[in-house]
Amino acid sequence: MKRIGKIAGITWAFAGLILIIILFPGLNGFSRALAKMPFMKINPNYTGGEIAFSDSLPGYKFEIRKPVFDGLWKERTHGFVQLDWRGDFPEKISDTIDFDRDGCNDFRVTIDTKTPETDIEPLHNKVGSLNVSTSTSYGWTLRVNISK
Amino acid sequence: MYKDQTISTPGKPLGKALLYTLPMFLITFMFLTGGRPDFTDTTQTVALLTTFMGMNLLYFLMHFTGKTDRYRAVIFIIFALSLSFTLIKNMVEIRNSMSFSQADIVECKIPFCHLVIPMMIIPAAFTKSIIFPGTIIGGFADISSMVVLWLIATLVLGRGFCSWGCFYGGWDDGFSRFRKRPALRKISDSWKWMPFAVLLMVALTAALTLIPTYCDWMCPFKAVTEFEQVTNLESGVKAGVFISLFGGLVVALPVMSRKRTQCSFLCPLGAVNTVSNKVTPFTIKIDKTACNECYKCVEVCPLFALTPDDVKRGKASVFCSKCGKCVDACTKKAIHFGIKGVPAGTMKGFSRNLFLFVSFLFIAVFSSGSIMFTVRSLLNLIF
Repeated sequence: MKRIGKIAGITWAFAGLILIIILFPGLNGFSRALAKMPFMKINPNYTGGEIAFSDSLPGYKFEIRKPVFDGLWKERTHGFVQLDWRGDFPEKISDTIDFDRDGCNDFRVTIDTKTPETDIEPLHNKVGSLNVSTSTSYGWTLRVNISK
Repeated sequence: MYKDQTISTPGKPLGKALLYTLPMFLITFMFLTGGRPDFTDTTQTVALLTTFMGMNLLYFLMHFTGKTDRYRAVIFIIFALSLSFTLIKNMVEIRNSMSFSQADIVECKIPFCHLVIPMMIIPAAFTKSIIFPGTIIGGFADISSMVVLWLIATLVLGRGFCSWGCFYGGWDDGFSRFRKRPALRKISDSWKWMPFAVLLMVALTAALTLIPTYCDWMCPFKAVTEFEQVTNLESGVKAGVFISLFGGLVVALPVMSRKRTQCSFLCPLGAVNTVSNKVTPFTIKIDKTACNECYKCVEVCPLFALTPDDVKRGKASVFCSKCGKCVDACTKKAIHFGIKGVPAGTMKGFSRNLFLFVSFLFIAVFSSGSIMFTVRSLLNLIF
């Protein structure tokens, strides 16, 4: 029994040696294989969710993403909606948003991208406060807190 | 009472030590050059050769002198410093600041580090997604590569990852060597269970909030890497917590106690690595027939992994990070690197050679990128 344990231990140690030797040359392949796993995607709380609607305007593109309410096992009652302006967007943004496309405007947004002062005027009680308003490498991103 | 005296642990003769270094020399040359050495850029060539020769010199000295921890600590501390230098330099060049902005979070551009792993497991299982604003694959410190590196390292080295792979551990380790003798001797070793409490707390809070709470609120190493821009009270408090924890657990307590207190009392990934220590083939064994129970090993252990009871049992506890400090300190050569299943006191040389090759190869290749970058940047700064 001791001899079997000894052989098993040494075999496992050599397997460890092989694993470390192939780790770095194979890192790219291993990482790509892991990245294909179904759970290997960034949570919508960070990405801002999928694009629900986009509109191409002269010089820039405007996108509204699906509201994010993601919780651990069920949706939360509070979340946010993300809006993106991509490209050569106007210096002063002033828009009325219907993020859930139900025909009723949900909030009015005014952004001075120079200062960058942002005002949210809720037009519906499901709209809360400003979460994020920031310039990005692709344009401008706004996140507004919402509830169900 | 143990004193930091020089204890002779005979190494190998010069020729034998060189022979043992040769495979590491060849394999690190292959990995560091990618198999296609390019010596056209002088600065890059100097950086490459400095890193390569320095690493192999350390490995040679491990064999030649028979000491492990003394030379491991050199590469481990350099890795920690160079990684922080690399991160900070990149951030200052890209953002003019050590802090990241809301835009970096929104665009998922935050470099991933292995300390997030314990917090992403439960959310990954329930939400099928990763709760971190980084990149899944591609770019600097992507999630997939870091997870693969840690997973294989912890499988093979167990908690050895904390002394042979973690690019933060070198900070603790470095500060714990500042004083020759500890000013603070009486620290209860029951604190070593604290990382399990931290692990439980951060895993649960991260699952409930879908925020990596340890990174967001507790990580001391934010102080030497990157942290959220201070724009309001909350981010100000966070910055205060990061700096206080770094000052207390990474600098002050290690200097005073000669122990790696952040790794021993706080790190949640250390707790996970402690569990994986059960799986790893490598361990620290004590030959009870040679041991005179002087407990020098207990005194020098930086992670509270050895108690007098462990010595009597003939093996280190699961908290052991295989740093080799106890092995270097043992005058009787009773404590040694071992392989599970192989009885204590037997195959000592073989076990040490195999463990050193595996663990040193990991840290050498893992750290080479940031060390070369640091050497190159310093050369550019000087010349």
